[in-house]
Amino acid sequence: MSELPPTTSVKRWLVTTNHKDIGILYTITALFFLLFGGVLALLIRVQLWDPANQVLSGLAYNEAVTAHGLIMVFWFLSPFGFGFANYFVPLQIGADDLAFPRLNALSYWMYLFSGVLLGISFFQGGTLSAGWTMYAPLNIPMYTPSIGSTGAVLALAMFTIGITASTVNFLTSIHHSRAEGMGIMDMPMFTWGILATVWMMLFAFAALLAVGLILASDRVLGSVYFSATEGGSLLWGHLFWFFGHPEVYIVFFPALGVMLELFQTFSGRRLVGRKWVIISICLISVQSFLVWMHHMFLTTINLEIKTLMMATTIGISLPFDLVVFSLIYTLIKGRIQFTTPFLFAFGALLLFILGGITGVFLGAIVLDYEFRGTYWVVAHFHYVMFGGATALFGGAYYWFPKVTGKMYDELLGKLHFVIFFVSFNMVYFSMFLGWETPRRVFEYNPQFQTFHQIGTIGAFILGFSFFIMFYNFAKSYVAGEPAGDNPWDYSRTAEWAVSSPPPLENWPNRPSYASGKLEFVKDYVPDGGPAVKADGDGNAATDGGNSHSDHIKEYPYWDKHPSHASIWPFALSLMTGFFLFGLSGFSDSVTFIVGETLASTSVEISNAVYPVFIVVGLVGLIASGVKWGLEDFYAPPSEFAERWPFNGVEKVKLGMWFFLASDVIVFGAFLSAAIFVRYNAGWMTWEPLTESLPGLINTFVLITSSFTVILALVAAHRNSRQGLLASLGATILLSFTFLGIKMWEWHHEVFDRGVMIGSNAHGDPIQASIYYVTTGLHGLHVVIGVLIASYLFVRAYQGHYLDDERPVEYFGLYWHFVDIVWVFIFPLFYLF
Amino acid sequence: MIDPIILQQGSDWRAQAEVFDEIFFVFLALGTLVGTIVVAYTLWNVYKYRDDGGEPKADFDAPVVGELPTGQGGPKAKKLFLSFGLSAIVVISLVVYAYGILLYVEEGPDTSGEGDIEILVEGYQFGWEYEYPNGHTTTGEMIVPADQRIDIAVTSRDVWHNFGSSELRIKSDAIPGETNTNWFSVSSEEVEAQGGEATFRVECFELCGSGHSAMKGQITVLPQDEWEEWYEDTGGSSSSASIDAAAVGGVPA
Repeated sequence: MSELPPTTSVKRWLVTTNHKDIGILYTITALFFLLFGGVLALLIRVQLWDPANQVLSGLAYNEAVTAHGLIMVFWFLSPFGFGFANYFVPLQIGADDLAFPRLNALSYWMYLFSGVLLGISFFQGGTLSAGWTMYAPLNIPMYTPSIGSTGAVLALAMFTIGITASTVNFLTSIHHSRAEGMGIMDMPMFTWGILATVWMMLFAFAALLAVGLILASDRVLGSVYFSATEGGSLLWGHLFWFFGHPEVYIVFFPALGVMLELFQTFSGRRLVGRKWVIISICLISVQSFLVWMHHMFLTTINLEIKTLMMATTIGISLPFDLVVFSLIYTLIKGRIQFTTPFLFAFGALLLFILGGITGVFLGAIVLDYEFRGTYWVVAHFHYVMFGGATALFGGAYYWFPKVTGKMYDELLGKLHFVIFFVSFNMVYFSMFLGWETPRRVFEYNPQFQTFHQIGTIGAFILGFSFFIMFYNFAKSYVAGEPAGDNPWDYSRTAEWAVSSPPPLENWPNRPSYASGKLEFVKDYVPDGGPAVKADGDGNAATDGGNSHSDHIKEYPYWDKHPSHASIWPFALSLMTGFFLFGLSGFSDSVTFIVGETLASTSVEISNAVYPVFIVVGLVGLIASGVKWGLEDFYAPPSEFAERWPFNGVEKVKLGMWFFLASDVIVFGAFLSAAIFVRYNAGWMTWEPLTESLPGLINTFVLITSSFTVILALVAAHRNSRQGLLASLGATILLSFTFLGIKMWEWHHEVFDRGVMIGSNAHGDPIQASIYYVTTGLHGLHVVIGVLIASYLFVRAYQGHYLDDERPVEYFGLYWHFVDIVWVFIFPLFYLF
Repeated sequence: MIDPIILQQGSDWRAQAEVFDEIFFVFLALGTLVGTIVVAYTLWNVYKYRDDGGEPKADFDAPVVGELPTGQGGPKAKKLFLSFGLSAIVVISLVVYAYGILLYVEEGPDTSGEGDIEILVEGYQFGWEYEYPNGHTTTGEMIVPADQRIDIAVTSRDVWHNFGSSELRIKSDAIPGETNTNWFSVSSEEVEAQGGEATFRVECFELCGSGHSAMKGQITVLPQDEWEEWYEDTGGSSSSASIDAAAVGGVPA
């Protein structure tokens, strides 16, 4: 563990694990991607100025359209919301930091470097040009052959990995670290928005990760999922939209949370029907997974399913209605202050109402039949997603004084809002007027030219309006009026009860709501023991939010100080970036010439750069992972916290459960893909590719290894170092046995039977792809398990885990999960 | 092949464009009405309850930092549920109405299958190929008779396309390995109105590659007799049929 350098040092920003620092990093990076995506949007608008004259080639236009969509949805909207989430969720729930500070830093660096990979992809022969929806089979190398296309897909996969880490972190934090007395229904609405968002993310992004991995496998390893005519295109549609629809709410809910917060603060009223708003938000989160096929009404899915999806789609608009009405009624009888943040939040509501109404049009199938693929859709989702983001800009103004300690310039802020709001409607309302134009088409019917020209003019004004905001923030940061701790008359949430900016560890003493309002409690710490809850006399109540950071923080735990700095998240992400950069050029620079036997198989490398990056990245990745594990990093547990509904579950175990839940979806998607394609090909026409005996033996091997992991835990519990080493050793040996049999099986398939990942001497090539990719993903999990088990073995040899056997237990959870997955794979690939 | 009875029925058919115009109008009218009411009501109240710097009303209960949200309900929530109920009624009745129309659009007009013409549409990078029942193929331009139900079976030979004509209000995904169906018909009045030969723009509505923008086609509708003349000339003469008819839906040749 290293000390955290001051904010003026560059090193600080590379090593920090503090949630507020990372929140700032997220926000600034997201704004950079807003500019990046915005410039691409302006290129699109220039191209649309005149349907007969173009500045970009067809391919370049498609790249601009694709990258604009990907960047705005993934690299701008969500991270911008999560910048605020990072900074303010721990403050709002009364936590010192997120549950896993290093994991939080890892999420950020994964996000940043994935964006860098996406930027690099423009220079690898052009980035992906298949649209942000990446419909199959346009997304495979046959139709989008550039290395940059693969680079963009891998960048998205890397982004998704970072997101998954972040999701697990936020779920654990909100469910594990809420201050005493803050029940789940008492959480501030912004935190509620984030909680609903991360629950959706847990499952939705797992589906995206799965479909991204399958696509990466098609592009890098040569599997043939998405070129298969046995439902390959529809498979993409289903998996992508299973992610894609919840994604709409994933980007909207942080903004909705900001709206709910700001409407209360600037009207001086509490939310009307708060309980019902929360119930609606939860309902929407669940329903969001039941509507995805409304993006596929024009495909070959049957009428019954379409009707069902129409019903669920319209159904999901109802809880939204309730939320909108609640927002409106909250304002009534208030004392509404037209500050810049309120204007943006209110503008967001108006835009969202229009987006919502036009969305109901799309829910009616007959109308969707005609709107599909037109600017009606483009206009609608910009009103919803960018309209939502409007509230996030309000959030930026709202929290600017808290983060910087300075007040922004109100006049410039209002000017920004007016220009923003007018030009927003110029751009997107003109799209409704010219809605018959097909999406992603620039040679459109000239009768719509006027509308598109209005849109183009609006787009430039809209882009310009952000420079007013940047100027305002820069000027105010340097020379703004001091804002004080709480510049707003009617704020309620805990971030306004600490100084601006808040101290590193957030609180003067332990925050508690046990008495019904926020108080800072001084706990009694016996020598060497854990904190003991203070009695009534020890309470240090706040005076309405005016407590200052000049309290000297008396840390209530042992003499061990919490850590705030680690370089390994940065290193691990950088190395992952190297590895994936190498992987993007793998299939273009490395050729395998498969001979009769393994010995006669040779490898030809035409360009050494990419393979070198793969090797360096992989080695660095493993090394950083080990260093991470060995680092002495202390993130204090929250001693007295509200944890419903996960009372009594230890922090890391809770995180592990969340991670495994997302991994269930990843494997679920792979297995669903296998079943979907086989069903489309004709279920009974496929025989298992392999003999069942090796699979059966491997089943027993894995089940036995699950047993030895339990033995390891028992041995650690009984303080038996030898027993621990023997059981872990047995687990490792059994894993190697499993992998050995697997290798023999693959060798047999490739060299004796001519079954390769993209070709099959005994049936459909897609069957071979599914076999290798699905069992390969499982095999990869086994390999990762072996790496962790080996690490545990070495540490156990050094005498660890006897006092604290939890790492062995958590590895066990992972290992049992890997074994359970095999129980599903075995019948599907070896028996039937 | 043309049954005069079906021709008579032709005047009762509702083309998809007509159906669409009706439902679009209903949604637009209701959407505008609801939107205007909600936005106007909101704007009025925001103006009415602005902070004018005066003394707060007696019942104004300002929140404070660090409070937990207190339980709410009462008359306010009643109003909330009333609005919610109203919006639910509007939305659900719209859907029920739209569902009835959906059934018609899915089935198409009932012609007992007589006199229908089924044309295979195959998208490719970057154009459309049409195959007629007699095996003749054309690219770019689909030529069909007026007053007749035209069934199309849409697929793709490479990537995902979308076959659509905005003017006819028809659209179908063209997906490799899948066959999608749709129908349309154009009245002879429309053909006459366009000067004896009606043409409709065909565009691709799904991004399909570098030539997506320029992937245009045309549907040309001729009067019955002219079309038959044209069709007979093509009779079986074409050998360019590239679609296996059986594979894309067993079309009667």
